[in-house]
Amino acid sequence: MRDIVVTREVAFLREMVWAALTDSRQLGAWLMPNDFAPRVGHRFTFRTKPAPGFDGVVRCEVLDLRAPERVVFTWVGGPLETVVSFDLAEVAGGTRITLRHAGFAGAGNLLPRVVLGFGWRSLLGKKLGAHLAGVDRGA
Amino acid sequence: MSRVSPDQDPFRAISDANRRRMLDHMLEGERTVGELAGLLGIAQPSVSQHMAVLRLAGLVEERAEGRRTFYSVRAVELRGVAEWMAKYEAFWGERLDALEAHLARQRQ
Repeated sequence: MRDIVVTREVAFLREMVWAALTDSRQLGAWLMPNDFAPRVGHRFTFRTKPAPGFDGVVRCEVLDLRAPERVVFTWVGGPLETVVSFDLAEVAGGTRITLRHAGFAGAGNLLPRVVLGFGWRSLLGKKLGAHLAGVDRGA
Repeated sequence: MSRVSPDQDPFRAISDANRRRMLDHMLEGERTVGELAGLLGIAQPSVSQHMAVLRLAGLVEERAEGRRTFYSVRAVELRGVAEWMAKYEAFWGERLDALEAHLARQRQ
């Protein structure tokens, strides 16, 4: 299954990165305004500008929180029920941040198969494969 | 993506769990309304209504064979969804840039 995974190494202490991820005000400064609280089960929202097919509100719930290394929350924007996780690892000179956007809720959900790539080549055929190859490359 | 009316919006079309299940089954092969009704355990008129929404959104196409109509997923239309996901990938890249800039400001 192809998740969205973005990895960054930054020259900042892990505790500092952790604070930027789990303090509502700091999170709002670089991601989106929110009412996050560092507590498993806490429900919160991110609010941004609406777009076609999206009302601008991302509904979330904290699923996992292990200071200072892991925070996981659901990410429901429009019909998409996804999960976002941040993992922080100490590396020489700083912190490695691994962002993963995955885990569409529900085994019967179409999107993880089509969008995240699980078996879509065989399921949808070569015709679509050629189209999606451009998307894969970020074209 | 071009502008579409709400009824043609593929995201709206896939917001319903039964319609997603129908698409799942049609991804495996052509299905008739009757087959889908059996697979989902819901009434045929309900399946027909859901199919109308999926057709309006351009997500499925039909093929007549004798008196039966087979429905399948129009793969090309789903490309819009994949493109949307690619935008999400770009979004996270930009946000992590913003995080790094934020951290630099915090340290000052």
